[in-house]
Amino acid sequence: MTNLIQILIDGVLVGLVYGLVAISFVVIYRASRIVNLAQGEVLVFGALFLWTFTLGLEHVGAGLPLVVGILLTLAACVVLGLILERFVFRPLIGQPAFAIFMASIALLILLRGLAQLVWTAETRSFPVILPEGAFEIGPFLINTRLFLGALFTVALTFGLHAFFTRSRRGLRLAAVAEDHNTALSLGVSVRGAIAVAWILGAIVATFAAMVLLSGRIVSLEVATIGFKALPVALLGGLESIRGAPLAGILIGVGEALAMAYLDPHTNGAASAVLPFCVMIGVLLIRPQGLFGWKKIERL
Amino acid sequence: MLPTGVHFETYAGEARILKTRRATAWLGLLILGLVILPQAVGPYTVGVFTHMFITLMAVYGLYVTVGLGGQINIAQSAFVGVGAFATAKLSGYGLPFWAVIPMAALITGAVSVIFALPAAKVKGFYLALTTLAAQVMFPIVIFALPMDWLGGLVGMAVEPVRLGPITLGSPVHFYYFTLVLVGLLTVAAFNLPRTRFGRSLMAVRDNDVVAEVMGVPVFRTKVMAFFAGSLFAGVAGACTAYFLQFVTVESFTLFASVWYLGMLIVGGAASPVGAILGVVFITAVQEGLHSAATVMLQSGAAGGGMLFALTSIVLGGCILVALIFEPRGLAHRWSVIRTAFQLWPFPRN
Repeated sequence: MTNLIQILIDGVLVGLVYGLVAISFVVIYRASRIVNLAQGEVLVFGALFLWTFTLGLEHVGAGLPLVVGILLTLAACVVLGLILERFVFRPLIGQPAFAIFMASIALLILLRGLAQLVWTAETRSFPVILPEGAFEIGPFLINTRLFLGALFTVALTFGLHAFFTRSRRGLRLAAVAEDHNTALSLGVSVRGAIAVAWILGAIVATFAAMVLLSGRIVSLEVATIGFKALPVALLGGLESIRGAPLAGILIGVGEALAMAYLDPHTNGAASAVLPFCVMIGVLLIRPQGLFGWKKIERL
Repeated sequence: MLPTGVHFETYAGEARILKTRRATAWLGLLILGLVILPQAVGPYTVGVFTHMFITLMAVYGLYVTVGLGGQINIAQSAFVGVGAFATAKLSGYGLPFWAVIPMAALITGAVSVIFALPAAKVKGFYLALTTLAAQVMFPIVIFALPMDWLGGLVGMAVEPVRLGPITLGSPVHFYYFTLVLVGLLTVAAFNLPRTRFGRSLMAVRDNDVVAEVMGVPVFRTKVMAFFAGSLFAGVAGACTAYFLQFVTVESFTLFASVWYLGMLIVGGAASPVGAILGVVFITAVQEGLHSAATVMLQSGAAGGGMLFALTSIVLGGCILVALIFEPRGLAHRWSVIRTAFQLWPFPRN
């Protein structure tokens, strides 16, 4: 029993990290109707920026305080987001979903290549931002880093949800997510919305990188977390900020249970395949996810 | 656009793919050139062309699914992989290639149908996500299956193609083998849009709600779009298996799927000509980068990871440029040039 509850706790904490990455998908979709498959690569860029501004500068003898490093990273992410908006997605406004989808795939390849060219494929250690170790509640062990990350995810969810449903700007972004052409004809700036989307997406991805990688190892392989978070975003509903952490918890717990009880019988495949089976199941049964918008087509 | 002075008096003439004698003559020259190619160039170039033919088969399949059917598929490489593993397994039982290749194609088609089923409820990138799931699950499943089924981590060896008493093991023999196959598939790809099934695919691509109203069975057509596209992928997979004489999961990555889609986008998804132009163009770029990187490696200016990084950047850049500046792809450029050539000396039509 103790064992099962420990598995559930770990699943929830890991699931909330997935939820955080999924939020970075959702903020981009919610403000621009773009599903950015390259989100994992954006996360890696955030992580590599942070490495450059902290340990990288220390190596060349120009170390900065951690807070300054983080601020510089966020600034670099904003610049990255704006560049992507200006040169990739602004020219594609009004194009069919297929073109935008392909552009995000092309971006995935391009960013992966760029990261390898600039930072090379070697692995490097990531600065410690959140405290390491674990604390005990009764018989259960809780990872401090993941626990703080989970608290942060919950706070961020409420903040972003309020922004998207209460503020005037946030509601305008929802109009863009509904349809580019309609939004343009109503006088909503689609460019502005896409810029906001990418800035938010890059910043949230960087936060996710900090929670995920603090005190760990960065390599280009980390980008696969993007593909793990995609089913989470889909299960929660691509338009729903609050759905993302909830779906993250569901998938995290499912994965933890599969890892504990099914993996020994399937050579470790069950937990890896589970999120994608969930994804196909969601698309078969309830395509809009748990809290997404249901779209009705009329002729 | 037809050359000046060409006109048709029968419907059959109008409907022909090669409309003029000159077009037939050019095609004849192309085929002749491809047949005598191995006599003129070294084994490396023959290998590049063989690889290019196999890629073209897979991209024809994408043309059917994406270009004709409008269903995004980013698992083509996984489907090619299914075809390759099916070929490895079947030829391991001692079956001849003319039985193995159709069976591998059918198996691949059957697998793709599983991932096309959500098409009943969703479309666009939601459907693309199920193919993404197929691509991600493919290596995990192969690794998890028992070793003696599909080779697991190690992979499987494949016997070379046997044609009666002759073994098609040499590169030149295999070049002709793929040339014949790619010729057959080219005929299929060019004729598909003219069939009833091809027209229903295009109706679903253009507007599926309207297609449903017109009486096209939309769900069945979407699933069939994946099935038909995967038949091509299955043949490509069989050729890959026979070509490499060894299959591992490493050859069938998401990255390869994106290459296939990139070729189709750069070439233009609207016609099979786009598939051909895209494959030729990207292969030429790849080879160019390859030789440039070799020179740089020898002069010590670059590290080993450079080539991979550079090809990624060039491919991503090519797709983005094509999407932003020329969404109709090289095929559109090609038809503009051809029209100008045919209308010469008149400046425009």
